[in-house]
Amino acid sequence: MSTFFQATLNGVLQGGLFALIAVGFSLVWGVMNVVNLAHGSFVVLGAYVAWELSNHAGIDPFLGMVGSAAALFALGYLIQRGLVNLVVNAPIFITLLLTFGLDLVLVQGMNIVFTGDFQAIRTSYASRGIGLPGGVQVPLGRLLTFAVAVAVTLALVALMGRTRTGLAIMATGMDRGAARLMGIRARHVYALTFGIAAGLAGAAGAMIGTVGTFHPADAARYTLISFVIAVLGGLGNMYGALAGGVVIGLAESWAGQYLSGTWSNAVAFAVLVVVLLVRPTGLIGRAFYEARQEA
Amino acid sequence: MRAAATARRAPGDGTGGGRYTRYGRYGPWAAGAAAVLAAIALQSQLYVGQERVVGSVFMFIVLAQGWNLIGGFAGYASFGQVVFFGLGGYTTAVLMAHARWPYWPALAVSGLVAAAFGALIGTPLLRLRGHYFAIATLGVAEGTREVVNNLTGLTGGGAGITVPTFGARATTAYLGEDGFYLLFLALAALALATAGLVTRSRFGLALRAIHQDEDAAASMGINTTRAKVSAFALSGLLGGLAGSAYTFQLVTVYPENMFDVSITVLMVIMVVIGGSGTLLGPLLGAVALQFISEWLRQSFTEAHTFILGAIIVVVVIVMPEGAVTYLREARRGRGFSPLANIRRYRL
Repeated sequence: MSTFFQATLNGVLQGGLFALIAVGFSLVWGVMNVVNLAHGSFVVLGAYVAWELSNHAGIDPFLGMVGSAAALFALGYLIQRGLVNLVVNAPIFITLLLTFGLDLVLVQGMNIVFTGDFQAIRTSYASRGIGLPGGVQVPLGRLLTFAVAVAVTLALVALMGRTRTGLAIMATGMDRGAARLMGIRARHVYALTFGIAAGLAGAAGAMIGTVGTFHPADAARYTLISFVIAVLGGLGNMYGALAGGVVIGLAESWAGQYLSGTWSNAVAFAVLVVVLLVRPTGLIGRAFYEARQEA
Repeated sequence: MRAAATARRAPGDGTGGGRYTRYGRYGPWAAGAAAVLAAIALQSQLYVGQERVVGSVFMFIVLAQGWNLIGGFAGYASFGQVVFFGLGGYTTAVLMAHARWPYWPALAVSGLVAAAFGALIGTPLLRLRGHYFAIATLGVAEGTREVVNNLTGLTGGGAGITVPTFGARATTAYLGEDGFYLLFLALAALALATAGLVTRSRFGLALRAIHQDEDAAASMGINTTRAKVSAFALSGLLGGLAGSAYTFQLVTVYPENMFDVSITVLMVIMVVIGGSGTLLGPLLGAVALQFISEWLRQSFTEAHTFILGAIIVVVVIVMPEGAVTYLREARRGRGFSPLANIRRYRL
């Protein structure tokens, strides 16, 4: 029984981190109708920024994640302003291809600069564990990353719902034409949205570096997980991303515990395809963006 | 057709929509036959290594034409197209290794299995639109890879499966580089002929109509489900045939390389760069991208994907509707500007 609790706990903790990885991806998709295939490389790049900060300046990764987020925000803002905005009205696979090209550039760039070796950000406390009754262990690093991931996601919810910037982003996502008539600068808002998403990815990358290893080729995996979670949770729905992250975290953890071989990898996709067919708007999503899906 | 094209621009508008070109009904077929003969003549001029590269160009022509049927004509961007490639390859490998079939019937059955799989998953999945369809197909491809990975008794799992083609246990002797060049050439010719027939048929028009406005197409009496599923199955057939030939060429295959997402992405890029929904676009895209990629690989060993990525970014921004459409507009001249597409699609 304790293995079940351990697997459940691991799944929930991992799910929080997944949510932070996916929430920016979901936001960009929901607001701009852009599926950003370079999202996973933003995550890995964020991990490298925190790693460099930790190696050269001795900055703790939980502080260094602010640096990652800031660097990635700037990069994301510039990419959207300079590149993605140029094709944002083109058919969907154009933006897919553009971001795929960016992904190649970023991943290979990281390969050249940092080599393809596995890296990890070492701290004195992350691998320590807290024992719970029943023999269940709570790894301290994972607990902290979970707390940070959930806090950041909730902060994003607050930003979107309560600040003028957030409302401008939501309004542009609902109806760009009307938002522009209200004096919202759509180019800037789009770039801001993309920057926020990239910044969150960067922060998530720093978290990943403290609890596990990373290398440039991981980017594709994080993009794929973001895909799955964004759809599960409903596009642009931030609570949905949290729920979707936990569902995927649990599914992977349980499958890893109880299924042999690599069947666990198939579970996430099986969940995804079933949800898509039964409830294409996501688990708790409403048909919020449905009207302009095809636009 | 022209009125519709000016009303709403979608890739594929006004491209071969007319049933006859000014070269007459048989002109394109004659050009195609000449190209095949030229490719056969070219073979004697190539080294073995070059033969392999050109053979892979032919293979990607098959894959790109297959993707174009569902993604270009019907507008359903399938991001799991590699599933047909992998399934076709594994069908061939299993039939030859376990059932001890010769290659040629295995090739045919592989194509049919992939087509049947396309019809089977297409029926539910093609109800989804836009990004949702893209992801669902991606999920199917990844899931299928894991199933193949875990059916170790049948497929050998991650350890791979080897086609019996050498020595006494061979069911069909290895074709050699010359043979595979011709096999891929034949498949490419088949793919082009299929696409050519589709372009000029009612079926092709139905797919274009679905691309432009599916609800309107349905209200005009087009059975949209049947048209979409047929297109998906047909694209599956081409993918399965290509996968089968590729497996035979490699001899030993693994789930990771037969179900590699980047194969799907290459197909999509080739079609979009060339011109989606056109006949020549996927051909042009496959030739250009495969040669550029090979040249970069040889000249810049380390940075070649980096440069390739940058090229994709620039090409996608400057000509999002593909080279064929871009060049056609440039030739037409009036009011053309090299950066017109940016003006059209930017925010």
